[in-house]
Amino acid sequence: MSRILLKNKLDDCIAAWRSAGFSVLAPVRRSDLSRFDEVERSTDMALDLVLPERTIKDHFFPQTEPLIKYKIKKHDIDSQEMLPPDMKRVFFGVRPCDASGLAIDDPLFGWDYKDEYWFKRRDNAVIVTIACTASDDFCMCTSVKLDPDSTKGSDVMLRPLQNGNGWQVEALTDRGNALLGPVASFLQEGSEAPAPVASVPVRFDVDRVMEWLADPASFESHFWKEISLRCIGCGSCTFLCPTCHCFDIQDEGDTFSGIRRKNWDSCSFAMFTMHTSGHNPRNTQSTRWRQRIMHKFNYYRGKFGVNSCSGCGRCTRQCPVDMGITETLQAITNLPK
Amino acid sequence: MIYNPFPMRVVSKREEAPGVRTLKLEFVKQEDHEFFKANYRTGMFGLYGIFGEGESTFCVASPETRKEYIECTFRQSGRVTTTLADADAGDIVTFRGPYGNRFPIEEFEGKNLLFIAGGIALPPTRSVIWSCLDQREKYGNVTIVYGARTVADLVYKHELEEWKQRDDVNLVLTVDPGGETPDWQDHVGFVPSILEKVAPSPDNTIAVLCGPPIMIKFTLNALGKLGFSESNVYTTLENRMKCGVGKCGRCNVGSVYICKEGPVFTAAEVSAMPQADL
Repeated sequence: MSRILLKNKLDDCIAAWRSAGFSVLAPVRRSDLSRFDEVERSTDMALDLVLPERTIKDHFFPQTEPLIKYKIKKHDIDSQEMLPPDMKRVFFGVRPCDASGLAIDDPLFGWDYKDEYWFKRRDNAVIVTIACTASDDFCMCTSVKLDPDSTKGSDVMLRPLQNGNGWQVEALTDRGNALLGPVASFLQEGSEAPAPVASVPVRFDVDRVMEWLADPASFESHFWKEISLRCIGCGSCTFLCPTCHCFDIQDEGDTFSGIRRKNWDSCSFAMFTMHTSGHNPRNTQSTRWRQRIMHKFNYYRGKFGVNSCSGCGRCTRQCPVDMGITETLQAITNLPK
Repeated sequence: MIYNPFPMRVVSKREEAPGVRTLKLEFVKQEDHEFFKANYRTGMFGLYGIFGEGESTFCVASPETRKEYIECTFRQSGRVTTTLADADAGDIVTFRGPYGNRFPIEEFEGKNLLFIAGGIALPPTRSVIWSCLDQREKYGNVTIVYGARTVADLVYKHELEEWKQRDDVNLVLTVDPGGETPDWQDHVGFVPSILEKVAPSPDNTIAVLCGPPIMIKFTLNALGKLGFSESNVYTTLENRMKCGVGKCGRCNVGSVYICKEGPVFTAAEVSAMPQADL
């Protein structure tokens, strides 16, 4: 026996959470890219998507966010932090790869200097993940040692029932338990079996990849040039990545008043590392692509003990030149030892 | 907290060389100054800025033995540095920091010191130089080798004069061939070759080397020829930075984050980095 949430009770849950002060966000279809957005009823949700085109990262590390509001008089500056407001949010229907992505980025925003902008959004967010029963040709969670039903980063895990009527419900954290409080009367006990999770093939050997990247000789290998010739440096893969966290800081305003903002940036861009002198340590697309792969599967692991990839596959799925991480990591896997 | 800078009042400014200025800054708020005094050690860097324009990363050019003010020296080249260069006494600019690691000068005690700097890299070196000269009795011989493209490009000219007068400092000045003036009395030649000519002894000596990448490369060769071991040579690296605190993702050389693990490294540590990423 386990707790069951039937689909026809979902609207009751949404209403209960909303009246408990939560905003409910779920995957929705939009005229451009599908994404997480606030919903009022279950029919707003697009839970049939393998995963939305944009990640939930958008709601924790927005594409652009105000950091500081400043006002300048002749000999005085007033600068105020613009921390996000307290938000009670339920993210419903998150995929395990996106939930893992949040957990992967937590140590980065928390080491030494704590980034309150990230944690203020993290602190009151409850992640309700739905295990994947479907996948596509780009999904690669199993290649990075996660699974279609990984619980990493999730507060509540939902497993779709075999009969398609609803989900098995499991609270994984205190936060998850607390979320189920207001909806307890809409859950029921049941013995329906969960549907089998999606079968996602292992597409590359991540251990071999890490071993090859760790070899200093690989850094200057001709491999990087050949594999990245198609890259046009558009940065889509970084913007759509649930773990990419690089940013720029820019001022909007004049020398009297304005806002200092944190904006997404990308290691794919030439300006990213350009010195004022004109010297650029990563002055070609291949060195920038190498940085991206090294950062994800070597550097980040060295700092935080985990690869900066949760296997969602968006980098490949949405790449305008059909390149992406998967191809590179497959090619590394197939390099002669 | 981490992105909100300290307001700083410009106390004075000085033209060092064509396009190169030094600003002397004081803290507007007492608590900010206390934080700086408690945390600043020589070698650390900061982000200097003006709201509306942005922030730029440079070292703190003043020594850890003088924490009443912050001095920063920079070349006017982009948006932020152009606006900073225009700041006058009384104007308010911003500072974030101090960030990064430091030169371990207490480990240098009892040793001879060799400072080598090129062009606008004297400021970071100068912070270490004064940190040591202000406690002169703790160190052995002090030699400073400083070179610039032309006589006009030498920065901190008044302090060069002061070091020249001191009998406990051996100052070696040079300018690149063609950069000398008719009355130039010092060396003419590139820093690495002048260094080989002066040939300071590597015995019980720590070298602190700052300069543009090409100068570092050739000077490291020269130091090797003179018998310096890479673990006794310190340098400071710079890269483009936005956050200064290990998050924005751009200043790494290989796996090493300049802002967190640097900016101060031994030559041995720099050699271990992937050279193609420098």
